[in-house]
This record gives sequence, structure tokens and C-alpha cells, in this order.
Amino acid sequence: MRGLLAGLMAFGAYFFVQAAVFHLVKISRRAVALVGLWGACLPVYGLVYAALPDDREVWPAALAAPSDVVTLLCGGLLYFFLFMGYAQFFYMAESSVGIRTMVELAAQGERGLSLEELTKRYRYEWMLDRRLDRLIHAGYLVEEDGWYRTTARGRLSAAVLAWSKSLLRLGLGG
Amino acid sequence: MLKGLILALCGFVLFLVVHVLVFRVYAPRLRFMAMFRIAVVTSLMLVVLHRSTPPDLGFLPSQYTGAGWAVDLLNGLLVFTFLFVGYCMFYFLVDRGFSGRMMIEIETSPDRQLRAGDVAARYSIEMVLQRRLGEMLEIGRIVERDGRYVNTPKGNAAAAMFAFVKKFLQLGEGG
Repeated sequence: MRGLLAGLMAFGAYFFVQAAVFHLVKISRRAVALVGLWGACLPVYGLVYAALPDDREVWPAALAAPSDVVTLLCGGLLYFFLFMGYAQFFYMAESSVGIRTMVELAAQGERGLSLEELTKRYRYEWMLDRRLDRLIHAGYLVEEDGWYRTTARGRLSAAVLAWSKSLLRLGLGG
Repeated sequence: MLKGLILALCGFVLFLVVHVLVFRVYAPRLRFMAMFRIAVVTSLMLVVLHRSTPPDLGFLPSQYTGAGWAVDLLNGLLVFTFLFVGYCMFYFLVDRGFSGRMMIEIETSPDRQLRAGDVAARYSIEMVLQRRLGEMLEIGRIVERDGRYVNTPKGNAAAAMFAFVKKFLQLGEGG
């Protein structure tokens, strides 16, 4: 339990620090901030782990694990996995078209919106440009005179995505 | 704690195999629900396997078998759950990823290059929204009345929660 509790508490600390930073400061490079803060809070995991007592002193036998390297790694793994799960939630809130649609519909109450009305609320050009800029920044695309081309990294990613879509029979998607 | 980890990894591989087979053979309509059900059944199998096998699984070194059964099982289930969550991230990227679709469109264009306007022409906002609306209708987040889309209580609750998160974390309108 020592490793799991330390991982959980370290993630709790990360969560509050990240929420406070994003709430107080308008951040443009969000991915860098998310990962940077996670890395900065990693020592918290080590400190909490060191501060917690050995399992055998506080937990019944079924819940006690020896304080060995596996326990330490399992707690670290939990800290990592919780971050990954949170990142998924974060990007859903930040970028999901479906979530934005529900927020738009909620503002209209029982009247709702038609597809045409909903379409007008989106700045599609801005949505596309934002994604294209991110892909360039991450090294997947290059832009030259308004033309976008994939880099070697982008080609590999496109091939993996296309293959996965085909394997799972997902259609074109997007 | 190694037993739980090994069983979680084996369970995840089993989940992947069954998931691919089900998607290839049956092409389920409610895809995420199908994935979720496979994951739940696999995690139940993990519990049964964990309780019915020896702590060393017949081959683990004795120094790694000292953990209590409950913490080992809890750890294994957590690892399996988060592997599933991580895979969901990849799955949604493949299935719904807007950026991924743009890269595929660019890569499959005759000259392997497109302008922003070409991408918009190949994948319009109407197509993007229609797909999302269809999915949200299927999972009961919205309903359609006389050509207008309205949130259900479930949709309103999700919208309120995400609107708060967007505002609190200063994420902008998004989408």
C-alpha cells in the first residue's frame, strides 16, 4: 500500500498545483506545462514514499507489501498512469468537438440547435489552423508557401493510424 | 507484487486480441461499449485467476512473492485499468483524431501536399459535427427533435462539468 498511497498522494499534489497554475496563468504551450509540472512533482513521490511507514506496521497482512523495489516502482507507475488518465480528460475538455457541441447545446436549453445553427458557431478555419500549427510544432508537418506536407515522422504516424483504422474497421474517422 | 503485474499485462494482451477479433469479425455499432465490456470481462477473469493461482505463479523468485494477496490484486487491477485507459487514448486518436485524419488526407493526396482549404474541403465542419452528433445520439447525451439537437439531462451534466473545467483552467472555447 505504501507505493500506491505515495503515487496517489503525489498525483493529488500535482493535480492541485497544475489546476492552480492553469487557473492563475494563461498558458499557451499547455502540453509543455502539463508534462513539466508532472516532472517537477516527481520528487514529491519520493518524499511521500520515504515518509510513509512500512506496510507491516499499519496494514493487515493481506494489504501489506514489502518495501522493495517492486513496491516503489508500482507507486511510480500509478503516478504515471494517473497523469495519463488526467491528460486524456484535459484534452477532452480542451479540444473535443463533441464536448464543445454539448456546451453549445446546453446554452440553448430546450430550444436546442439545428446542424446549420451549430455549424455557424464554429470557426472552422481557426480549428484547422490550430491543429495544423500543433502538427508543425510537433514535427509531423512542414508548411511551405501555404502547402502542408508530412515529415518522415508524420508519414510514419499517418501510416500507423491508417493501418490501425483498417485493422479495426473504423472507416475514415476523424 | 509481481504476480499482479504479470497477470495484468497478460490480461491486457488478451483484451487486445479479443478486442481486435471482435472489431474485425462483428464490427460493433457501439464500439466503445463493446471495448468496455471486453475489459470488464477480462478484469473479472483476472480476479478469478489471481485467487486461484499460487503467489509465485510457479516460476517467480521467492523475494517477490511477499506481498499480501489483496494489495497484489489491487495493484494488478489498477495496472490493467490504466493500461485500458491508456489504450482508449490511442483508440480515440485513431478513431476520432482530427489531426490524424488531416495527416492521412495530406499523405493520400496525389502530390502528398495540401493547403488548409483543401483539408477543409475534404473534411468539412458539417462532416465533423454530423459524426459527433451521431455518436452523442447513440450514447444518450443528446436527442433530436424536429431537426434540432437538444441535450439530455446526462448531456447537460457533462456540459456543465466540462464548461466549468474549461473556464477554471482557462482553456478557451476549444473544439
